Amino acid sequence: MKDSTGRKKEDKRKPYVKPEVKQVPLRPEEAILGFCKTATVAGPLSSACATLSCLTPGS
Amino acid sequence: MSIHSSLFIRVADITLHITSDSPHMKVQPEGAVKEFVVSARKPDLNIQALWGNLSQRTWGKKIFDSGALWQLYQQNGSYLFRFSSSALGPHPYKIASFNNKFTQCEILLNCSSFKLDQPVYPLEYPLDELTVTHFLAMREGAETHACGILNPSGEAYLFAGQSGAGKTTMARLYQKTNQVKILSDDRIVLRRKNHGIWMYGTPWHGEAELASPEKGRLTKIFFLRHGEKNRLVPLGKAEAVSRLFTSCFPPFYHQQAIEFILAFFDEVVKTIPCYELTFFPDERVAGFIDGLT
Repeated sequence: MKDSTGRKKEDKRKPYVKPEVKQVPLRPEEAILGFCKTATVAGPLSSACATLSCLTPGS
Repeated sequence: MSIHSSLFIRVADITLHITSDSPHMKVQPEGAVKEFVVSARKPDLNIQALWGNLSQRTWGKKIFDSGALWQLYQQNGSYLFRFSSSALGPHPYKIASFNNKFTQCEILLNCSSFKLDQPVYPLEYPLDELTVTHFLAMREGAETHACGILNPSGEAYLFAGQSGAGKTTMARLYQKTNQVKILSDDRIVLRRKNHGIWMYGTPWHGEAELASPEKGRLTKIFFLRHGEKNRLVPLGKAEAVSRLFTSCFPPFYHQQAIEFILAFFDEVVKTIPCYELTFFPDERVAGFIDGLT
């Protein structure tokens, strides 16, 4: 393509890059705050942690 | 109605006021939450705690099940979290009912699950964190799975990643540098304030047990991964938003909240440079990062 003075315009567009799909892993078990965060939880669960699924602390 | 016990907690500039008019309930913070107790002020969220019998109640329509400690129900526009555990019997040990803006809450503690003569923290984890993440998701910000560090130079770094990525390792490496402040080794809140993005410490720390109520204006975001040597790769905006989203705690069942969080992260990555940081866990990584500035 030429500009108004007749010179050829430099193509400043970015080179075409083919789109690609990237997967980013989601860990729902971490994201939902379903488990005890530490094994030292107070309250009614303090004595129960050893017998619950929350034995493995969530993150 | 007279208030017998009252507690103000402030996390990420959100003030929670917990009260109880039960004569036999003494409200008391626990663990790192004690660092976030503040003097009386205008609250953003009013929380009333009561003893109750939770064996005969209806909960509304179940809209989410965490698969562990809690389920969420919806009834007449309000949200109800039901906390139960097989170790404590078939009935919930606690329920928390919120209005649709998460500004009012009533917590009923099952009197048969608690020792009535002991002080109690009605927002016991994970309810305190769920309360803050839901309040934020109503157009205020987001909590991230991240370690946050304030450098004396004014730089404020967010090191994000899922469990095992190296957040606590990074916090401990920076801990050896006396001048830095570590806001948290596991949970950082991001909010938009005064035309900038700010990060805040929270009480929900990781293994290093680092939790500070301080804040700083965010300058860089690093997504962590362990490696044999230190390496930085700048990230494109779409990938950075994806990674932030997978390192946050969104209410997956709330469409408007998800839309807000994605738009908020889009705004964050437009102003804050984002990198993937592969790092070898020794003290050289701090100098490697500081070399960026």
